[in-house]
Amino acid sequence: MEYGTIEREIYVEASPEIVFEVVSNPDHLKEWWPDDARYQPTPGSTGEIVFGDRDAGGAVVPFTVVNAQPPHTFSFRWTHPADEVAAAGNSLLVTFDLTPSGGGTLLKMTETGFREMGWAVAVLEQQYQEHVTGWDFHLARLAPYVATLQVRS
Amino acid sequence: MSIAAVEQVDDGLWSAIGDPTRRRLLDLLLIAGDSTATTLSEQLPVTRQAVAKHLGVLDRVGLVRATPAGREKRYRVNEAQLARAVAQLSSVGSAWDARLQRIKRIAEAIQRTQQD
Repeated sequence: MEYGTIEREIYVEASPEIVFEVVSNPDHLKEWWPDDARYQPTPGSTGEIVFGDRDAGGAVVPFTVVNAQPPHTFSFRWTHPADEVAAAGNSLLVTFDLTPSGGGTLLKMTETGFREMGWAVAVLEQQYQEHVTGWDFHLARLAPYVATLQVRS
Repeated sequence: MSIAAVEQVDDGLWSAIGDPTRRRLLDLLLIAGDSTATTLSEQLPVTRQAVAKHLGVLDRVGLVRATPAGREKRYRVNEAQLARAVAQLSSVGSAWDARLQRIKRIAEAIQRTQQD
C-alpha cells in the first residue's frame, strides 16, 4: 500500500456495461455500500449517501460525482463538508476503472486522500458497518434483489 | 481529547507509516528490539542523518520511543501504537475488499439473469 492510497483489483464475470451500472447507479450503490444513496450518476452531480437510518441518528455523507464515462471509468468524492465544493484536501476520491478481460471485467478501485482526511470517516462508517459486514446479511439481501431483477426482465 | 486532536494524531500516523523507508525502519526495530540511528543506517541505503529524521517522524506520532544512550538515542517500537496503526490501515482495506466482493456478486447475478 502506498502513501495515502488504497488500491484493489477484482475480476468480475460480467460485462463492463453491467459492472459500470453496479458501481455508478445509486440504486445499485446502496446494495453494496450505504443504506441510502441520492445523486445523479453524471459528472459534477452532488448528492449524499446515508449510513444507518436518516431519521434516526444515521450519518449523512456528501457525495459528488467527478467523472462518469460508461463503461470505462466512474469516480466520485465523498466526506467533504456539506457546504463545501468537493476538492483535493477536503474529501476522499474513489476511482473505478473498468477493463474488458476474457469475457468479463477487470475492476480496479483506487481511493486516495486519507492523509488530508484523517480517520474520522473510517470510524464513522465502522459504527454502521456491523450490520452490513456479515455474509448472512448480504446473502439475505442479495436473494430478493436477484428475484426482483428476474421479475423485471 | 477533542475529535480534531484525534484526527491529527491519526493523519500523522498514516503519513508516518506510509513511507517505505519508515516501514523498513519499523521492521528493523521489531527484529532488533532496539537500535540507534547509527546502527540502523548501517542496514539501510540512507545516511545516518536521514535515518535520524525518519525516527523523529515516527517518534512524534508515538510509533517509537527514544531513550538517551550516550551521545545518541536508542529507539524501540511502541507496540500498542503500531497495533493501532495496523488496525486502522487494515480496517479501511478490508472494508473495500468486502464492498468489491458485493459488487462482484451483484454484477455477476445480473449477468446470469440477462443470459437466461
